Amino acid sequence: MKKLTRALALCVVLALGACALTGCAPSPGSSGGASAGGASSDASAPSGPISVYAREDGSGTRGAFIELFGIEQKDASGQKVDLTIPSAAITNSTAVMMTSVASDPNAIGYLSLGSLDDTVRALSIDGAEPTAANVKSGVYQIARPFNIVMTEDASPAARDLAAFIMSAEGQAIVEENGYVSVAEGDSYVPSGMEGKVVVAGSSSVTPVMEKLAEAYRAANPGMTVEVQQSDSTTGVNMALEGTCDIGMASRDLKDEEKGAGAQATVIAQDGIAVIVSQESSIDDLSTEQVMEIYTGAITNWDDLI
Amino acid sequence: MRRLSRVLRWLVYAGAALTAAVLLAITGFVLINGIPHLTPSLFEWTYTSDNVSLMPALVGTLLMAALALLMAVPVGVGAAIYLVEYAPRGSRFVRAVRMTSETLQGIPSIIYGLFGMLLFVTALGWGLSLLAGACTLAVMVLPVVVRTTEEALMAVPDGYREGGFALGAGRLRVVARCALPSAAPGILGGVVLALGRCVGEVAALLFTAGTVAQVPDLLGAGPAGLFDSCRTLAVHLYVLASEGLHIDEAYATAVVLLAVVMVLNGVAALATRMMEVRDRG
Amino acid sequence: MNSSALREGTARVLFSAAAAVSVVAVVLICLFLFVNGVPAMAEIGVPEFLLGAIWRPANGLYGIFPMIVGSIYVTVGAVIVGVPAGLLCAIFLSRFAGARMAMLLAPGVELLAGIPSVVYGFFGLIIMVPIIRGLAPGHGPSLLVAALLLGIMILPTVITVARNALDAVPRRYYEGALALGADHERAVFCVVVPAAASGLLAAVVLAVGRAIGETMAVIMVAGNQPVIPGSLLDGVRTLTANIALEMGYAAGLHREALVATGVVLFVLILLITLFLNAARKRGGR
Repeated sequence: MKKLTRALALCVVLALGACALTGCAPSPGSSGGASAGGASSDASAPSGPISVYAREDGSGTRGAFIELFGIEQKDASGQKVDLTIPSAAITNSTAVMMTSVASDPNAIGYLSLGSLDDTVRALSIDGAEPTAANVKSGVYQIARPFNIVMTEDASPAARDLAAFIMSAEGQAIVEENGYVSVAEGDSYVPSGMEGKVVVAGSSSVTPVMEKLAEAYRAANPGMTVEVQQSDSTTGVNMALEGTCDIGMASRDLKDEEKGAGAQATVIAQDGIAVIVSQESSIDDLSTEQVMEIYTGAITNWDDLI
Repeated sequence: MRRLSRVLRWLVYAGAALTAAVLLAITGFVLINGIPHLTPSLFEWTYTSDNVSLMPALVGTLLMAALALLMAVPVGVGAAIYLVEYAPRGSRFVRAVRMTSETLQGIPSIIYGLFGMLLFVTALGWGLSLLAGACTLAVMVLPVVVRTTEEALMAVPDGYREGGFALGAGRLRVVARCALPSAAPGILGGVVLALGRCVGEVAALLFTAGTVAQVPDLLGAGPAGLFDSCRTLAVHLYVLASEGLHIDEAYATAVVLLAVVMVLNGVAALATRMMEVRDRG
Repeated sequence: MNSSALREGTARVLFSAAAAVSVVAVVLICLFLFVNGVPAMAEIGVPEFLLGAIWRPANGLYGIFPMIVGSIYVTVGAVIVGVPAGLLCAIFLSRFAGARMAMLLAPGVELLAGIPSVVYGFFGLIIMVPIIRGLAPGHGPSLLVAALLLGIMILPTVITVARNALDAVPRRYYEGALALGADHERAVFCVVVPAAASGLLAAVVLAVGRAIGETMAVIMVAGNQPVIPGSLLDGVRTLTANIALEMGYAAGLHREALVATGVVLFVLILLITLFLNAARKRGGR
């Protein structure tokens, strides 16, 4: 009898504990469809301290963001300083950025336009909506290049893949995936080559590269293409060392990389979207305001005029 | 007096209840988010960026874990046998081994990743490969195997060994016939723990095994397939989750990963029980 | 030479070689870390590196003091959360649970051990961060969440190792205590637990190791600001997070400074191991 009571008590405690942990928080990142299509009706003006989210130092997304918004400024000695406020929370991937911002009505963050989905809301900057079309026409100016990197002695197979990416077919795939095409290339003629190409680098470029690789393999059944996801710097270094045939970088090459023999080709443009939670009613910020938020001049939503 | 006992009892129950609650919360979290997205297309043989199939990763996980344990378990069990059965107690070598295996246990997996990249991938020229990943994992789980085997061997009553020696058996025979069999369940526990670390590891593998979603071509290319890059389920999950394009599929992958862990643990439990039955019989 | 002596000799050599592997591994890892990290430390200046409060690699400022403090805070927090619960649960499984209850809970614990840290990370991000935000508006990813999450993550390690140690205590200890008139609880806590102290300590060492070394999950919930946290609700960056966040992008001195961060982490772990070894020796076995 005593044992039974004990077991019962334990079960109750368990059940309560489990409910407390799983039950009270809905999972905003997972279902996604909850508030599709523009501002939801329960949106309210955020007030209180701004939760600033940034990417890690060295990320291609962060590099482009701070440069385009003037958050990177020259100090007295002429050195470029990244003035992102130290209290900004650092997220190490697009998914974490999206999930964090989605669940925090006071948050602001940024990510690649190609990865944007409806769990968060992208802001217009100076009145321009962040869409691929606007990036292409130059109305939305917050954009960065996707590069592929090869050396002088790249294999013919690697050059053929690069030719495919720049062809009309390749650029069409770029467009289909929400990025901005950069070339009006000719139609691609399958080379019928056989062999293997290893592509490695930026995790931002990887999704579209996988699509490109699949289409390329369909055109050239004799080829295999391996896509290794890491990051821009690793990709460029691997291409220079010869560990991979083509490197992917979501930023412009540094001078020392060019000096070491890296040759970059821009294969696409990618916009950077400034995002807030679906619960926030903010629609539009100016470049100036974003800069002030990220440098800490404005720290409270109430101070935003 | 009685009251203290009651308090202690309730504390113990609370500890257990908390663990159980955590278990329910995490598995519940994964299952609720993952099961609705378990679709047949996730189990197709070849990976494409549309189906993001986890099949190659599943095979990769099994290969990787098997290979790593194949290296770590014999070495780890051997080391523990030496420490417990052979080495003079308290010798300098024993202390060094014990120190180092405890140190190894504390080293973060990301450092193993960097180490594996430098040694296996670059210095030995294996490239991002199944073999480099498995070797890195083997070094990483080695201390787990050593430690648990040691504990299990130490728990074997000395009487067993003395009996063996009294019957005129050599040391090797005593170890093989008396000590190891009765320590086997404990050793298996350690192997399962090691397996768990292999299956769940991400940081160390990103730098050593790469992220290519293909089954290494061991059947077609033979040993050369060891030098193919492949991903495990956990790496697959990480890659899917990091760009935010396939979060739903990532949860579904997590469900499969849970299932894999459960099956592996079940097999180990079954093996343990069979061994206990055999011992008794 | 007779064949059994030969066999014995071979076995001894093989086993000692196996034991030497872990020594070799540590020496190799040390070598690699120190060769890559120490020159950077010398270049930056040891006090500037260890005690500098500003980490801004783009401008040549490499101070990892906030990360050292961060790692220690998070680890201590995780130990406070995870170790008592884990030890109690191990005691439950070893000495209190009925066979059926143990059959249910023990595989569950093994399951927890097999869940990859990315999943824990998402759990923290999607469930725990919003709860903390609900309780303390304006805060989210923080030291508190990281410590709680890590506390959960070290549970299986603590439980498995501690339970093995408890199970290994000879039955006659417990029975002797009962014979002397102790009740079940006192027999367990005053006789069995002290007898297993060495194994329990090992469980704690392992747990500290896992907590201080955990990367992927902490990165997702800790906020990662390279600033010393002023409260439990502030963000924090650990040494591992510092390495993992920036290693992919770093080049030159920055990369070496990150390896040097690894060296510091390594030395920290070495110190903990030494300290607990000393404690164990004093505890006597």
